[in-house]
Amino acid sequence: MTVRAAESSDEALAALAATGDEAAFETLVLRYQHRVFRLACRLASETDAPDIMQDAFVQVYRHISAFRGGARFSTWLYRIVTNAGLMHRRARARRPAESLDELLPRFDADGRLEDTPDALRAASRVDELLDRQVLAKKAQAAIEGLPDLYREAFVLRDLEELSTADVAQVLGVEPATVRQRVHRARLMVREYLGALAGDRP
Amino acid sequence: MKDIVCMSGVELLMEYLEGALAPDVRAAIEAHVAGCQRCDAFIASYLETPRIVRDATRMEMPADLEASLLAALRRAMHRHDG
Repeated sequence: MTVRAAESSDEALAALAATGDEAAFETLVLRYQHRVFRLACRLASETDAPDIMQDAFVQVYRHISAFRGGARFSTWLYRIVTNAGLMHRRARARRPAESLDELLPRFDADGRLEDTPDALRAASRVDELLDRQVLAKKAQAAIEGLPDLYREAFVLRDLEELSTADVAQVLGVEPATVRQRVHRARLMVREYLGALAGDRP
Repeated sequence: MKDIVCMSGVELLMEYLEGALAPDVRAAIEAHVAGCQRCDAFIASYLETPRIVRDATRMEMPADLEASLLAALRRAMHRHDG
C-alpha cells in the first residue's frame, strides 16, 4: 500500500479491500474487532460473540464491493453485525429466562405514576446494591429479555452510544422509530432494575 | 394542548430529551415535572438506566481471540479466492 494503513479512513481502506487488498481488510478488522466483540456480546452472549464476529467479518469481506462510499463504513458494519447476532439468536432458538415484555411503569386512573418517588428512584441505585458479577449477569439477562426490535435499538443507542441518526441508518428505520424503540426498551429495563433494587417489597 | 400528567409525560420523555417536541409541548412537560416528585424520580432513573447496563456489560475481548479470528478470516479469504 502507498498510504499507511493506520492513517487511512475506514472508507479508503474499504475501497482498497474491495480491490482484493487483504492487508487493508485486516486493518479494518483490527480497528473494529473490540467494538464488534462487545456489540456481539450485548446482542447475543459472550459465548456466541466469537462466532458472530467471525461470521460478520467474513460477510464484510465477501460483500465489500457492495459497500457504497456514500455511507459510513461503521454504519454498514454495525448493520452486518446486528443481523449476524439476530441469526445466531434464531439458530439457538433460545427462550430468554425472563421476558421484560410486560414490565412497564404503572399509572393510576388519573395518569399519575403509582409508585412513590423513592421506589421510582430505586433503579438508579442498583449498582450500589448488587455485587458486580451479579449485576453483570442480571444486566445481560435484561438485554436478553427484551423483544428483538427493542434490544437492537437499545444496544446500539444506549449501550454502544451511537447517535439516533446512526442507529436509524443501521436499522433502516426512521429516527422517530428508533426513539420509540429505545424508549420502550428503557422503560422495561428501568422497571427490571428497580425490581432488582427492591423497589417494591 | 392538553395538560401533561405523569403518563403522557413519560410517553413523550425520549422525544423530549432528544429535542423532538414542539415548544408548547416541551413547556407543558417542564411545568408538570417542576411540580411532580414522582416524575423527577422517574426521570433520574430513566437517565441512569443506560449507564448502569453499559457499565455492567463492558466485556473485554479475550487476548487470544485476535489470532484465531485472523486465522479464520484468512482461511475464508483463500477459500473465497480459490
